[in-house]
Amino acid sequence: MKAKVGVYICECGPNISERVDIEKISEELLSSGEYDDVELVVKNYGLLCSGDGKTYLEEEITSNAFTHLVIAACSPRDHNTTFINVCKKTDLNPFLYKMVNIREHCAWIIPDKDKATEKAVQYIRGGIKRVLYQSELFEKQLDITPDVLILGGGIAGMEAALALAGEERTVFLVERSSELGGVSAGLNRLLPRQGGEVNKLSSYRGEVENNEHIKLYLDSEIKSVIGFLGNYEVTIGSGDEEEGVELVVGAVIVATGFKLPEINGLPGFDFSEKDEVHSSIEIERMMATDRKLAMRNGEEPKSVALVHCGGRSERGYCSQICCSYMMKIAGYIKDQSTEIEVVEYFRDLCLPYKEDQKFYDEIAARGVEFRRFGKLEVDGASVVSTGMDGAESKQEYDMVIVAPAMLPAEGTEALAGLLEIPLHETGFFEEEHQSTNAIGTTTDGIFIIGAAQGPRGISSSMLFAQASAGRISTQLIPGQKITPEVKVSEILEAYCTGCLTCLEVCSYGAIYFDDDRAISVVNEAVCRGCGNCFGSCPSGALRTKHFTNTQLMKEVAEAVRER
Amino acid sequence: MSRDSVLIIGAGLAGMKAGLLLANAGKKVYLVEKLPLIGGMAIKDEESFPNFECSTCMVAPVQQDVLQNPHIETMTLSTVETVEGSVGEFKVNIKKGARYVSMTDCIGCGMCYEPCPVSINNEWEEDLGEMKAIYVPTAGSLPNVPTIDPQHCTRLNGSDECNACAEACMFGAIKLDDKDEELVIEVGAIVIATGSSTYDVSSLETLGYGSFPGVFSPLEFERLFASNGPTEGEMTIRDTESVPSKIAIVHCVGRKEVGYCSSVCCMYSLKFAHFLKHKIPDAVVTNIHSDICVHDKTYQKFYEGINGVDTEMRFCSSMADVCVSGNGSGLKVNYPDGKGKEQAVEVDMVILAAAIVPTEGTAALAGILGIELDGFGFIRSLSENIGSIETSREGIFVAGSAEGPKDIQTSVIQAEAAAGKVMALLSAMPEPVAAESETGE
Amino acid sequence: MTEKEQEFSPNIVGFLCNWCTYAAADLAGSTKIEISPAFSVVRVMCSSRVDHNLVLSTFFDGADGILIAGCHPGDCHYGKGNYFTRRRYAQLKKVLETLGLEPERIQLAWISAAEGNRYAEVVNSFTEKIKELGPSPINNNQRL
Ligand SMILES: Cc1cc2nc3c(=O)[nH]c(=O)nc-3n(C[C@H](O)[C@H](O)[C@H](O)COP(=O)(O)OP(=O)(O)OC[C@H]3O[C@@H](n4cnc5c(N)ncnc54)[C@H](O)[C@@H]3O)c2cc1C
Ligand SMILES: Cc1cc2nc3c(=O)[nH]c(=O)nc-3n(C[C@H](O)[C@H](O)[C@H](O)COP(=O)(O)OP(=O)(O)OC[C@H]3O[C@@H](n4cnc5c(N)ncnc54)[C@H](O)[C@@H]3O)c2cc1C
Ligand code: SF4
Ligand code: SF4
Ligand code: FES
Repeated sequence: MKAKVGVYICECGPNISERVDIEKISEELLSSGEYDDVELVVKNYGLLCSGDGKTYLEEEITSNAFTHLVIAACSPRDHNTTFINVCKKTDLNPFLYKMVNIREHCAWIIPDKDKATEKAVQYIRGGIKRVLYQSELFEKQLDITPDVLILGGGIAGMEAALALAGEERTVFLVERSSELGGVSAGLNRLLPRQGGEVNKLSSYRGEVENNEHIKLYLDSEIKSVIGFLGNYEVTIGSGDEEEGVELVVGAVIVATGFKLPEINGLPGFDFSEKDEVHSSIEIERMMATDRKLAMRNGEEPKSVALVHCGGRSERGYCSQICCSYMMKIAGYIKDQSTEIEVVEYFRDLCLPYKEDQKFYDEIAARGVEFRRFGKLEVDGASVVSTGMDGAESKQEYDMVIVAPAMLPAEGTEALAGLLEIPLHETGFFEEEHQSTNAIGTTTDGIFIIGAAQGPRGISSSMLFAQASAGRISTQLIPGQKITPEVKVSEILEAYCTGCLTCLEVCSYGAIYFDDDRAISVVNEAVCRGCGNCFGSCPSGALRTKHFTNTQLMKEVAEAVRER
Repeated sequence: MSRDSVLIIGAGLAGMKAGLLLANAGKKVYLVEKLPLIGGMAIKDEESFPNFECSTCMVAPVQQDVLQNPHIETMTLSTVETVEGSVGEFKVNIKKGARYVSMTDCIGCGMCYEPCPVSINNEWEEDLGEMKAIYVPTAGSLPNVPTIDPQHCTRLNGSDECNACAEACMFGAIKLDDKDEELVIEVGAIVIATGSSTYDVSSLETLGYGSFPGVFSPLEFERLFASNGPTEGEMTIRDTESVPSKIAIVHCVGRKEVGYCSSVCCMYSLKFAHFLKHKIPDAVVTNIHSDICVHDKTYQKFYEGINGVDTEMRFCSSMADVCVSGNGSGLKVNYPDGKGKEQAVEVDMVILAAAIVPTEGTAALAGILGIELDGFGFIRSLSENIGSIETSREGIFVAGSAEGPKDIQTSVIQAEAAAGKVMALLSAMPEPVAAESETGE
Repeated sequence: MTEKEQEFSPNIVGFLCNWCTYAAADLAGSTKIEISPAFSVVRVMCSSRVDHNLVLSTFFDGADGILIAGCHPGDCHYGKGNYFTRRRYAQLKKVLETLGLEPERIQLAWISAAEGNRYAEVVNSFTEKIKELGPSPINNNQRL
C-alpha cells in the first residue's frame, strides 16, 4: 500500500501565516518530486488547535484515510497532546503522527520571510521523512495488585498502614523487632505542639494490631524483592530460616527509621563509663519508666547540661528534631524540681516549626539557660565550650545529656542493595527528587518515609507516611489497571553482547540481565524512555522507540541538505 | 456527583500536585486560583535550593500537566465566595473574575500588548517592571493567555473608547464586555493550598526599606535575578541602575515581630549569596545572621558550600538591633557581633530576608470555610493530632505554606498527604443512590 | 577563498533535550529573539540519548557543527542522564580529533527552560564560531 501522508500547516492566525509564505511551502513540497512513492496532501488551516480546527482535522484524517500525519504548527510542548488526542479519535495510530514546530523555530525567530519559509520547508520535509519511518506503538494496560508491603513498624510505618489498609487493600507490615512502635514508643512525652501526651501513640499499636486488613509479621525482614510498580514479588522471613513467606504487592514502603550512635566515641566527647554522661534517649526511657531523673547512685542531679548537636559536624547534617526535644527534656527536669540548674548548650537553635519558638520562650522563662557555642567538648562530666565572643568556659555538671545526630538504621545499606535503590551521601535512603518527589525513589512503587528518608520528628514522619498513602491510593486503585510509558527502549537480542554497560547507566534499574540468553533486557514497565542506555551501548543493540537513530537521522538529513 | 469531586484552592506547587494526584485517580478537580496565572511562589524563583535547580524546569511541566489534564478544571482569577453543606456534599459558590480575553480563542501570541496605550506597574514583578493594561504577568506565564486590568484599561474604566487590543487580535479573543461569573459546584472535599506571603519589610523603619533604593525585599531580589524578570536577570539597584559590588543579606527580618522561625529564610538567604557571587564574581557578600536553620539532610551541605565561598557569614547577637542607614551614596549596616560589640558593614545593596507570613485574605477565606486559624493567622491544622493536615472542619484539609512556613519539599509532602486523606474520605463514603455515570472517560 | 568564506552558510544541528533546552528554545521563540537560520533543532527526550553514532552520522551527512544541549547538571529530568552526556562529549571530542575534524565543531551546553536569552546567545555564537571554522572537511570532500 502506498503511504498517504497528510501535511497540515497551521496558520496560527498571523503568527505563522504572516511570517512564512505558506503557499510557497505547499508548492515546494508538492512540486519537489521527492515524494513520488507517497501520496502527499498538503493543506493549511487557520487555527488547528481550536475546537473547529480539531473537528476539521479529525474529519480530514478519516476521510482521507491517511497512513501518516504531519502537523506544522507551534511547539509540541503546547499542542502535541492536543493532536495526539485528535488522532486517538480516528484510526490513525498517534505514533504515526509528527508535530513540526515552525512557529518558535521559524516564524518567530527568523525575521526574513524568505529565509523563514525556507527553514519551514526544511523542517516539514524532515517531519515527512521522519514520520514515514515511525512505527505504530500501542499502550498496554497492566493488571496491578493494590496491596502494599511496609518495612518497619515505627510510627511512620504504622501511620502508613492505617492510612492504606481497607476492604480492598491489604497491608503487610514487616517489623524486624518483636514489637511495634519504634523509637517513639519509648518516649516519655511529646512536644506541646503535639499535645504532649504519648498515649495517642500507644493507641496506634492497638489499632494496627486489631485491624483485620493489616497482616503483621514481627521478628521478620524482607529476603528478596523483584518486580515493578503494581507487581512486586517479595519474600519475607525471620532470622536465617530458609523458608519465607511469599507475597505479591503493588508497592513497597520503606519505614525503617533511624538509630542513635554511641556518644562515647563521638569526636569531642571523652568520658568513662562511670561519668554521668547520657544519651537523650536513655533519659526519655528513664523518665518514661522511673518517672524520675536520677544519677547512677539514685540521687537527683543538682546541675544538668543539655548538649545539642553531638557529632553533627562529622555527619554533615542537622537532625531537625533535637533542638525541640532537648527543650522538652529541659522541661522534664524543671517539672521535677525547679532547683535543678539546667543549661542548654546549642550551636544554632533550629526551630522550623512555627509553634516551637513559643515553647522555647516558655522553657527559657522557667530558668533554663541557653548558651550558644561555637566549639564544644565534653570531658568527663564537664562541658568546655567556646562562645560566639570567643571566650572559653569550662563547667562541671552532675549530669550531661547529649543529643547525638540521628543515623540511618542498622542494615540500611543492605536493604538498599536488596531493593536496588540508592543511598544518599548521608547514609539515609535517597529520594528521587529533593523538592518535588521526596518520598519516591528512582524505582516507581518503592517509597521512603519517616526517619529512614532523613532525620525528622514524629509529625513529619507521619506526614511522609500520609504522603505515601496519597501516592499509592491515587496510583494503585483496586480493580483498575495502569498504563506504562510506551516510548521506551528495547534491546535487540542479535546485537547485544551482554557487556552490561546499559545496566550501569540506567537510573531506574529498568534493565536486567537475562542469564539464559546472556543478553540484557529492558523491562518496559519500568523504563521511562530517556535513552541514556542507548547512548551507552557499544554494540548498537539498543533502540529507543519513537526516537530511533533512523528517525532522527531523517530530520538531520534535511537539516544538512545542500541548499 | 460531589463524592467524586474535589475543590482545591490555590494553584501553587501544593495545589497543583494535590490536584494532579486526585485527577489521575479519576476525581474531578476544581482548581481555583485568584491570580491570572498558576504556579504560585515557586515560579518567581529562577533557581531553588538546595540544588540550584531551575525552578521553571521544575514547575513548568507540572503546570502543563495541570492545564492539559482532562479531569482538572482550572479557574484562574477566581475566588471562593460561599461554602454550604458539609463533608461529602459541599456546595461552593465561586466567583470567576472576568479575564476580558477568551481562554479558548486566544493562542497567546502577544500581539495585543504593543498597541495598548496604558503602562502600569507590574505587581507580580514586585513593581520592578511595567506592563500594559492587557498583560501576562511574566514571559512564560501559564495559562499563556493575557488578561486586562479593568482599573487601568481606559476602555473598561470608562475614560475613553480605546479598542486597540481588540483590533490587534486576529483571533477575536478580546471580550471587552466580559463579566464576572458566579458558579456553583458540588464537591466532597476541599483542600486549601493558598500559600503564604513575606513579611512587610517597610514596617521596620530601622532597616531602611523604602527610604533607600538599595534595600530590597526577598521577592524583589528573586525577580531581579530571574532571567525572565523585569531586568532580564541583571541585578541592578533601582533608580541608579548600577550593579552592586558590596551586598549585605540580613537574616531573620521580622522574626521577633511574628514570633516564630520561618524555616526557609536561612536557606533562601544563602541561595541569594550564591546568586550574587555567580552573576557578579567580584561582589563582596556578607550574611548577617543569628541561628542557622538548615534542617533537611541536604541543607547543611548546601550551607557549607556557600559559607566562606560565596559569602562571609557574620554572627549577630541580636538581630532586632540590626540597623541600616545611608552612607553617602551607599549604605551602612550596623549590628552587634558575638561579643555584643557594634560592627558595621558598608555596602551598596541590602537584601532583607523577611519572615513568611499568612497570605492576604487567609482570615476571610477561613471565615467563608468556617475553619479556625492558628495564633499566627495561618490555617490551623490539627497538629496536636500529630502530623495532621486536617483543619477544624471535617472534609477540609490544608497543604503547603498556607499551614505555616515551609520549603517546597514539605509543601509537596502535605499535598500528597492531602490527596491521600481525600481519597480515603471519599472512598469511605456510601455510594450515591442511582449512580448515573457522568465522568465518562 | 575569503569571499567564499563570507558566503559560507553552515549547517548546524542542535540536539536539544525535551525538558530544558527545548523549552528554552520555545521561550526564545515566544520572546521573538532572532536566531540564525543555519541552526536546526532536533528534539530528543534527554541529552543522554545522543550517542556517538548519531553525532558522527550527522557529521558524515554534512553537518558543519553540532550542539548538544540539555538541563543543567543536577537538573536532568531523568536524574543523572546529563552526567553521562558530559562524559560522552569528552570522548566525542577525542573521536573528532582522530577523524581530523576540529573538536570545536561540537559543543555541549546546559541551558535551562528559563534561559531563552541564553539559548539564543549560545546558538548564535556557536554559529559564528562554525562560520569562522569554515565548512567541515568531511563535508568538503563529499562535495568535491
Ligand atoms: C530522645 C529522643 C526524643 C524524641 N522526642 C520527640 C518528640 O518529642 N517529638 C517528635 O516529634 N519526635 C521526637 N523524636 C524523634 C522520633 O523518635 C522520630 O521522629 C520517630 O521515631 C521516627 O519514626 P520512624 O517510624 O520513622 O522510625 P523508628 O521509630 O526508628 O521506627 C523504625 C522501625 O523500623 C524497624 N526496622 C528497622 N529496620 C528494619 C528492617 N530492615 N526491616 C523491618 N523493620 C525494620 C525498627 O525496628 C523500628 O521499629 C525523638 C527522638 C529521640 C531520639
Ligand atoms: C524569597 C523566597 C524564596 C524561596 N526559595 C525557595 C527555594 O529555593 N526552595 C524551596 O524549597 N522553597 C523556597 N521557598 C519556599 C517556597 O516558595 C514555598 O514553600 C512554596 O512556594 C509553597 O508552595 P504553596 O503551593 O504552598 O504556596 P504558593 O506557592 O504560595 O501558592 C499558593 C497559590 O495560591 C493562590 N492563592 C492565594 N490565596 C488564594 C485565594 N484566596 N483563592 C485562590 N487562590 C489563592 C496564590 O495566588 C498562589 O498561586 C522560598 C520562599 C520565599 C519567600
Ligand atoms: S531509556 Fe532510560 S529508563 Fe529506559 S532503560 Fe534506558 S536508561 Fe533506563
Ligand atoms: S550496553 Fe548494549 S551490548 Fe551491553 S548489555 Fe546493554 S544492550 Fe547489551
Ligand atoms: S532531561 Fe534534559 S538533560 Fe536529561
